[in-house]
Amino acid sequence: MTPGRHTEGPTNETVFLIDDDLSVREGLTALIESMDLPVRAFGSAADFLTAQPEEAEGCVVLDVNMPGMNGLDLQREMNSAGIPLPVIFLTGHGDIPMTVRALKAGAVHFLTKPVREDDLLAAVRQALETDRKARSERAEMRRLRERFDLLAPRERQVMHLVTAGRLNKQIAHELGISERTVKLYRGQVMRKMGVDSLADLVQHAQKLGLLS
Amino acid sequence: MKDEQLRPTGIGAVGDVPWGTHFFLFHETKEDLIDANIPYFQAGLETKELCMWVIADPLTEEEVRYSLKHSIPDFEDHFEKGNIEIVRGREWYMTGDDLDLEKVTRGWKQNTDRALNSGYAGFRLSADTAWLDKRRDWKAFCEYEKEVNDSIVDAPMLALCTYPLPGSAAAEILDVARTHQFAIARRNKGWEVVETSELKQAKAEILRLNNNLERRVMERTRQLTAANEELRRQMAERRRAEEALLTAQAELAHVTRVTAMGELAASIVHEVTQPLTGIVSNGNACLNWLANVPPNIEKARGAVERIIRDTNRASEVIHDIRTLVKNTPPHKEEVDLNDLIYRTLALANGEMTPEQVELQTELAAGLPSVVGDRVQLQQVLLNLIMNAIEAMRTVSGRRLLTIQSAMRDPKSVTVSVHDSGVGIDPQNADHLFDAFFTTKSQGMGMGLSICRTIISAHGGHLSNVAKASTGATFEFTLPADVVKSDNVDIATA
Repeated sequence: MTPGRHTEGPTNETVFLIDDDLSVREGLTALIESMDLPVRAFGSAADFLTAQPEEAEGCVVLDVNMPGMNGLDLQREMNSAGIPLPVIFLTGHGDIPMTVRALKAGAVHFLTKPVREDDLLAAVRQALETDRKARSERAEMRRLRERFDLLAPRERQVMHLVTAGRLNKQIAHELGISERTVKLYRGQVMRKMGVDSLADLVQHAQKLGLLS
Repeated sequence: MKDEQLRPTGIGAVGDVPWGTHFFLFHETKEDLIDANIPYFQAGLETKELCMWVIADPLTEEEVRYSLKHSIPDFEDHFEKGNIEIVRGREWYMTGDDLDLEKVTRGWKQNTDRALNSGYAGFRLSADTAWLDKRRDWKAFCEYEKEVNDSIVDAPMLALCTYPLPGSAAAEILDVARTHQFAIARRNKGWEVVETSELKQAKAEILRLNNNLERRVMERTRQLTAANEELRRQMAERRRAEEALLTAQAELAHVTRVTAMGELAASIVHEVTQPLTGIVSNGNACLNWLANVPPNIEKARGAVERIIRDTNRASEVIHDIRTLVKNTPPHKEEVDLNDLIYRTLALANGEMTPEQVELQTELAAGLPSVVGDRVQLQQVLLNLIMNAIEAMRTVSGRRLLTIQSAMRDPKSVTVSVHDSGVGIDPQNADHLFDAFFTTKSQGMGMGLSICRTIISAHGGHLSNVAKASTGATFEFTLPADVVKSDNVDIATA
């Protein structure tokens, strides 16, 4: 696959296909490839975990029913290892209990073998979109966290109280400093957090989990 | 020496007689004597016997030769060659003026030996007793005749003794009759056989024994026939029972196969769905690549090749299932056990993965094939594998299924199926192969029983092998297709 040819987002996006069955693996690899999506196939969960890059982008198409570590085990492993890729499960007709368990563990989509092309394409597109959103959210969070990390302890205290709805006077009283100093800190916080309005600051504080 | 072959006497009423026949006639005239002796000797000469005619007065040698010559065409030739000898009674029987019966007896013996040594069939004698001095020698002669009568039986010799009737007293006639086997007598211009009482008795006894024997033979034959028929009936019955048993066994094997197929349904669907997924995915990919501008022919070709491969894989599975489910009569062919193990594992694969059963195969390379019914042997493998998976269902540790094939001796192939399951309760070990014995809540208890029947019918043996490690091991041995391995031996020798 030539990375430049696909139309779906940045070049790092890859469909990771994991299935122990050669027929299924080669068939789906061909199909995904023919849809101009980059694909990497693995014969077992262990192979995938060994090869999986830290910052993988895209989604995982995963066979539920595999010898060794099965699809559900891998999903659990990915969750605990902090691999945030969305998972599309491949199931057979007889895999209903597993399907239920996978759904409970947060699978985004199920495809029943033999897989219809439209279903696969739709599922992959949706998963990639989900991943993209998640990634941008994560990037946003990272930025916020970085900005928040730049705040001095007094500034954090001020941000905390401001976003909790306290007035400058109350804050000054609470911290035992002058109202003028509170205003000064408040201006620093707005600048360092890159916001223009109190509403935006409150939103960021919410994302950072300061409001609970 | 005894010859079973009968000799023609040439005398119509007497017909054919065995060697060792000693008979007599009373003659009234010379003509009677000639009349009886000429056909007698003609028959002897024609059947290559050494002949001797002991004559007495009033018959002369000239008369005898004359008569013989006129009746037997090549008589002179026979006479020249010594095939027939004519001697006078007085000279033959007497030494000087005395009767010398020891000499006579020796003479018979010598002639008989000479006849045999010179290639004659035997010795034929006719002797007249007209020379005999009855008053002096009758008693001795009678004793001698009695001895001849007793000893001739075992000799290749015929003896016709001729007595002149005129001047014979009744007592003498009785003596003669007593010392011979039978007599012939002149009646209505022909000769008739006059049997002696001993002969009559003997014949009657023989007849009675014969009848008795015949009756017993018939009785025995009847018994044997009845016994034979009974035996044949029992054999037919047994054959019918055996056929019925085989049919029932095949039927049962089929039923358990179908049952096993039912239990495997999910597995089988899985096993067919996998290649179908490959096929449909490759098909779609192929269409996509063909729709590219320009079409990606290389990629499309690769996809079609995979479609063909996956289709064959699906067909194989379907074929195996069809043959397992179809009720086909047993059919012997060459079976590669390693291949059969792989194909059976393909069917059972779907049962193993969800149960997290690890599979380990240790199949001997270059394993000779066996001759047998592929379907039945696959049934055995499937049964053992399914049992192994079943036995590991409740085990929390490692679930390892090990299948081995090996050639432990040059004439047989062994396949063993080992599981790391719950193992076999020693209490049950003796009943594993009994029909209707099961430890499963939903088992019919026929599986292992049928497996053993199948393996036995293939000349092999199925057994549960006790092993030190956990779990259970079942093992069957089948005769290798030795023709093949023999060839290998010769080729490598």
